[in-house]
Amino acid sequence: MTPLPALNGKVAIITGTTKGIGRSTAVLFAQSGAKIIATGRDEKEGARTQALMDEAGGDGVFLRQDITSEAEWEHITSEAMSRFGGLDIVVNNAGVFMVKSVADTTSDDYDWIYQTNVEGTFLGMKYGFRAIKETGRGGSIVNVSSLMGQVGYPDATAYCATKGAVTGMTKSAALEGADLDPQIRVNSLHPGVIWTEMLTSQFGDDETLKNGFAEDTPLRSVGMPENMADAIAFLASDQSSYMTGAELTVDGGRGAD
Amino acid sequence: MSELDGKVALITGGTRGIGLACASRLAAAGAKVVITGRSEEAGATAAETLGSNGLFLKQDVGSETDWVAVTAKVQEAFGRLDIVVANAGISNASPMVDMSLEQFRTMHDIHLKGAFLAVKYGAIEMRKHGDGGSIILMSSIMGKISAAGYVHYSSAKTGVRLLAKSAALELGPEGIRVNSVLPGFIRTDMTVAFPEEQIAPIAVPVKRFGNAEEIGDAVLFAATDRSKFMTGADLVLDGGMIAR
Repeated sequence: MTPLPALNGKVAIITGTTKGIGRSTAVLFAQSGAKIIATGRDEKEGARTQALMDEAGGDGVFLRQDITSEAEWEHITSEAMSRFGGLDIVVNNAGVFMVKSVADTTSDDYDWIYQTNVEGTFLGMKYGFRAIKETGRGGSIVNVSSLMGQVGYPDATAYCATKGAVTGMTKSAALEGADLDPQIRVNSLHPGVIWTEMLTSQFGDDETLKNGFAEDTPLRSVGMPENMADAIAFLASDQSSYMTGAELTVDGGRGAD
Repeated sequence: MSELDGKVALITGGTRGIGLACASRLAAAGAKVVITGRSEEAGATAAETLGSNGLFLKQDVGSETDWVAVTAKVQEAFGRLDIVVANAGISNASPMVDMSLEQFRTMHDIHLKGAFLAVKYGAIEMRKHGDGGSIILMSSIMGKISAAGYVHYSSAKTGVRLLAKSAALELGPEGIRVNSVLPGFIRTDMTVAFPEEQIAPIAVPVKRFGNAEEIGDAVLFAATDRSKFMTGADLVLDGGMIAR
């Protein structure tokens, strides 16, 4: 990870920070001098994220949040306004994943994935737009979609459906944000195989499997959360100021195949 | 310690516009920067703005002989090559039925053959040190969408975008990354014929053209380890044009 001075002083809400990509992003933003509201459901892991942000010398706070609750989004955005005096960035990172044949995927499975990945992201954009507009400085929203929001993968029908939805609604929100003054940019990030708990909880944390994924990736490695944090920082900051409605794929080359 | 200390970059079409903005960003991040172009006068002026870390070399990007000569001179001057930005380009429009084969071929020589040679000679140099590298090809949103009169430009830019993907798959195992950048309307000499105040409000969702510096920022991202897991990707910088 490389601290990005362009994030210095920016106020950001980052969801799903209790592990993986979200936690690394919170730490990188802290290293870069941003003011952070880092959210998640697991308070024990949240305390660890808090400690990592503190260690990085950042001005960040972990707050518990269920991103599928509209009331909680209202609360989290008001926390950004009251603690840090405004909001510039939302990183809609929280997501869930499930490997299951389409024939075995229950309505409950689908609803669980859908509510977090789609409705959680939708609400992040909705309340993010409101708070960023109220702040009046313009802003940037980064939605973490997936390579599976661009191409298919077996036994991941529900996940692909939800990530495809994130890819699409990013573009609609981007066009809406472009009509505002000041503007709000909205882009999606499409990670490939990133070695996080989201993956290992489904596939198993197994070296052979990890090496298999690496062998199958043009750059011959799996991605690490830190790699995604750098990409999120780029999209969140003014370093990508002419980019909106775009899909940034960071997948070690898998999607080019 | 800057991000690109010890790295050497080659930027074609680096004497003005987007290329020079990329060169400035890379130089500011600590890289030694070699810019190439056809005009020695423009080259000398541009190299001066880059200070002691900058060097201009004359090059026709569609000429293999020139690529051999230029990479040899880069070796001689700086001893290695880590980053290549294949940016040189031209633009013109003409109804297809009236387009001469020569006009079509010139466009393809500069963009598509130029990109091919950039990847080939870039990779040859990067193999010498074995530390990998980053090759960035300037495609265009005209590599995804098109307009009447641009069969030559659009076909060349689409070719560049997919050439990057094939090269990414081939060179990935060596740690050589290949990505394309797809600018929309950017304020440069190449777009002076397009009046921004008339076009931007209608054609560009963010209602303005981009600056060369904004492309430079994205190229800096693609050139550094901040994008070290990114290869074969398209970086679209178009103010939202192809989102709708």
